[in-house]
Amino acid sequence: MDALLADLRSALSDDRVRYDAAQRSLIAHDASVFDGGVSGPVCYPVDTSEVQAIMRIALTHGRAVVPRGAGTGLAGGAIPLGAPVVIAMTKMNAILDVDLDNRVAWVEPGVINLDLSRHLRPMGFHFAPDPSSQQVCTIGGNVANNSGGPHCLAYGVTDAHVVSLEIVLPSGEVGTLGTLGPDDHGLDLRGAFVGSEGTLGIATKVAVRLTKNPPAVRTLLLSFASVRDAANTVSDVIANGIVPAAMEVMDQKITIAVENFVGAGYPLDAAAVLLAEVEGLEGGADIDAERISDLGRANGATNVRQAESDEERALLWKGRKTAFGAIAQIKPDYYLHDTVVPRSALADVLETIYDIAKRHDLIVMNVFHAGDGNLHPLLLFDARIEGELERVHAAGADILRACLAVGGVLSGEHGIGVEKQGYMEELFSADDLDHQNRLRKAFDPACRANPGKVLPMGHSCADIQALRAVPTGVWG
Amino acid sequence: MIPGWLRRQRGPDAVGKTGVAGAGVPAGVDLKLDADDLNMCVQCGLCLPHCPTFRVTGDESMSPRGRIKLMREVQDEGAPVTQDVLRSFESCVQCRGCEPACPSGVPYGHLMEQARESLAEEHLITPRWQRLAFKPLSQPKVLQLGSSALALANKTGLVPRRLGLPDDLPVRQEPLRASGDDVYLFTGCVMDAWQREVHAAGKRVIEAAGFGVTPTNELAPCCGALQAHAGLAGETRALAERMMRTLSDDDRPILVDSAGCGAAMKDYGHLLGTAGAAAFSARVFDIQEWLAEHVDRLPSVAAPLDLRVAIQDPCHLRHVQRAHAGTRVVLRPFVREIVELDDDGLCCGAGGAYSVLEPELAGAIRERKVGVIDQVEPDVVASANPGCSMHLAGAGVATVHPMQLIDQALSQPQPQPVGA
Repeated sequence: MDALLADLRSALSDDRVRYDAAQRSLIAHDASVFDGGVSGPVCYPVDTSEVQAIMRIALTHGRAVVPRGAGTGLAGGAIPLGAPVVIAMTKMNAILDVDLDNRVAWVEPGVINLDLSRHLRPMGFHFAPDPSSQQVCTIGGNVANNSGGPHCLAYGVTDAHVVSLEIVLPSGEVGTLGTLGPDDHGLDLRGAFVGSEGTLGIATKVAVRLTKNPPAVRTLLLSFASVRDAANTVSDVIANGIVPAAMEVMDQKITIAVENFVGAGYPLDAAAVLLAEVEGLEGGADIDAERISDLGRANGATNVRQAESDEERALLWKGRKTAFGAIAQIKPDYYLHDTVVPRSALADVLETIYDIAKRHDLIVMNVFHAGDGNLHPLLLFDARIEGELERVHAAGADILRACLAVGGVLSGEHGIGVEKQGYMEELFSADDLDHQNRLRKAFDPACRANPGKVLPMGHSCADIQALRAVPTGVWG
Repeated sequence: MIPGWLRRQRGPDAVGKTGVAGAGVPAGVDLKLDADDLNMCVQCGLCLPHCPTFRVTGDESMSPRGRIKLMREVQDEGAPVTQDVLRSFESCVQCRGCEPACPSGVPYGHLMEQARESLAEEHLITPRWQRLAFKPLSQPKVLQLGSSALALANKTGLVPRRLGLPDDLPVRQEPLRASGDDVYLFTGCVMDAWQREVHAAGKRVIEAAGFGVTPTNELAPCCGALQAHAGLAGETRALAERMMRTLSDDDRPILVDSAGCGAAMKDYGHLLGTAGAAAFSARVFDIQEWLAEHVDRLPSVAAPLDLRVAIQDPCHLRHVQRAHAGTRVVLRPFVREIVELDDDGLCCGAGGAYSVLEPELAGAIRERKVGVIDQVEPDVVASANPGCSMHLAGAGVATVHPMQLIDQALSQPQPQPVGA
C-alpha cells in the first residue's frame, strides 16, 4: 500500500491523493442503500494526463479503478469494491469550449449538469438530459449511466446528446470515440461507452450536443382520483400522437411530502397528479396543452391547472425533482427502484406494486417518468428496525419480477451497478451476457475498470480475480 | 441478512469504521446530537452544490452530506475523532446554505453547532487563544480600546489588506443617541466598533419613516453568534440571557442590521428552550425585513441613485432567517436598477471569524463569488452583513449596506420641478 500511495502522490500531489479513514469511509458510499464498499486511495486528478498516470499506476500495482462523480447514484455504480483506487472527477469541472455554430460544447466530466445549462442559458441553449439530481450530478456520471430525466421523453436520453468522448482506457492509453461530424465510421463505440458505468474506461472530455431553448412552454398539473386514471391519461396522450416534453406522475403520499417542502400548491387530496409539459411555437404549445387537458378530463381528471408564470413552473418542477430527498419526512431510509414497462401496462403494474408493498407490510410511493413507462417505486423503511430491510429486499425483488413479466427491463436510467447485477440473468441469456463481457474485455482485458459491476460475476470471471487481489479482512 | 445492504448500528456494541483509535486520537466522544435530527438525512446529495466548501474542493468530507455521515459514525458507531474528522467539521463555514436545499429539512446548523459544542467541551476544537479572542466582544470598553489600537495599526499598514478592514477605521467615535422608543436598533460588538456609520444610516432611515429609535449600545453588548459558531454555547447562552434581561421592559421590535446577529438572536428560543426566549426571538427583525412592512412611510425621492446595484444576500439572512426578500422591497424605490447574482445565494466565504481562521478556503470561495458578481457588472454590491462586506472589500469589490444606499438617496438634494 505504501508503494502504491507513494507512486500516486508523486504523479499527482500529496493533498490530492487521500487515504485517511474518514475520506475512505465517505467515498465507500453513494446515494444508494449499499453499504459493502471499501475504498482504497482516493485520487483527485485535474487533467487527462493525471488520469492516465493513475490508470498505469493502478495496473502496475494490480489494483482496480473506480470513477466517481457527485456520488448521487442509486444503484451503487460508484461504490468501490475490494479497496480499488477511486478516481474522483470533481476537480475536472471546466467548460472547455462552446461552439454555437455547430451546437456542441466540450466539457470536462466533473461539470455539474445544471451548471452547464445555466452557463448556456444566456446563449439560448441547454443540455437536454435533466435527471432529477441535475443540480448536483455530473456530466461524467450522466455518461456512465446514460442518464435520463423528465424532459428526455421528447429529447432522448444522454446517449442522444453525447457526440464524442475523450477516454482513458484501463491501460492508460487515451482514445477518442465518436466524431463531431455528421457520420462516424465503423462501429459506434461511443454508443457502447455511454452507459457502461465505468467498466470500459474513464471519460476525460465530453462533447455534448446543445439544445435550443423552446420559444414557448406550457406546464399543466392534472389531479386525479386514482393512479389508474393518471396512468391511462399518459397512455392516451401518446396514443393520440402528442409528444409532450415531459409527463411525470406522483401519487398522493409523495405529493404531500414534496408540497411540504416546496409549497408549490400541489393538491393534497388527489390520489395522483400528472405534471405535463409541452413546448414549441406559441400556437402549437397552446393546442397541445388543450388536447392534454381534454384527454385528462376524459379520464376523470378532477382538476386541471396551467402554470401562469415561470416562477410557478419552476416551483412545480422543484417539487418533482426533489421528491426522493423529501422522504426523511416520513422514514429515514428509502430503496428506490428503477424499472421500465410498456406504457400500456402502466396502470396494471402500478396496482401490482401497491399490492406487493401491502403484502410485505411496507409503505410504497410512486413517482415516475410516466411518458417513458419508467417507474420509480420508493420503498420506505427504517434501517434501525429489525427485519424491515429484509422485507424491503424481498418486495424489491417481487416488483422487479412483476415488471419483467409484462415485458419490462431492469433499469430505465439509474444503471445496473451492484443493485441489479443479480437480475441480469433473468433478462439476458448466457449468450447475451457472454457477448457483453467480450465487448467489455476488448476495452479492459485485465478487468480493472470498476469490477464487480453491471455484468454478473459468472460472466465476468476476471472480476473475481480482481476482487480477490484484495487483502483478507478488507470486507469486514 | 442481506450482504452489502445498509445496516445502521446503534449503541455500545457498534463498531466504528472510520478508523482506529490510536495515540492521541480520542474515541467514544459523545457529540450529544439529537438522534432524530441526525436520522433526517437520507444521503441524497442534493445539498452538495449549495455548500461553498464542496464547491471549491469537490471533496465529500467538505460537504454537508459527508459531515453528517461522519457525525453519525462518531456518535452512533463510536468512530474515533481523528484530525481528518475535525478538519471536516472545522472547515464548515456554517452558512447553512444546505438547509433550504434539503427536501427532508435536516436541521444541519443545529447539528453542527451541537457537534462543535461537544468537541469544544472536550477541548478538541477552539483552542485557548481563540476562546480568549472572543472575550472582548462582550466587553464594550475593552473592545473599543482594542479597536482603536487596530485602527492605528491599520493606518500604519500593519494589517493585511485581504482582511478588508475599512481604510477609515475610526480611532475614536461618539455613541449613537436615542431619538425615541418605537424600536430598538441593535448595535452589537465588532460592527459598532468598526461600522458605526452603518448603524447611523439605518437609524436615520428608520427615523425618516417616522419612528423613534433607541440604539442598544451597552444594554446589549454582543449577541453571541461568533461564540456559538466556535462551540462556546455556554457563553452565547449567558449573553442571550443578559440581553433578554435588559431589553425586555416592553415588547418593542428589535431591529438588527447585521444578518449574522439577527439570525443568532432569532434562535434564542431554540438555544434556551424557554417560552420567554421564544417570545424575545419573535421581537427580533432584520432591519430590511421590518422596514419592508413600513416602506410606504418613507418619503419618496424624485431621483433614485443612479446605480446598478447587485444584491449579495448574506447567508444568515437568506438561508437562516429566510428574510432576504425585504432587501429588494426597501431598496427598489431608491436605486436605478437591482440585479440578482446567478448562484442561488452561495456563501461568499466570510462566515464571521471563518475568513480569519480559514483564509485559504475563504479566499477560494470569495474568488468564485467575485466571478459571479463580475458577470452582472454592477456599480456597487449591497450586502446586509458587516462580515460579508469586509470580506468582499478585501478582494476589491465595492460594497455597501442597503441602509446606506437608502440613507444616501434620502439625503441627496432632490431635483426641483421645472418652473418651481
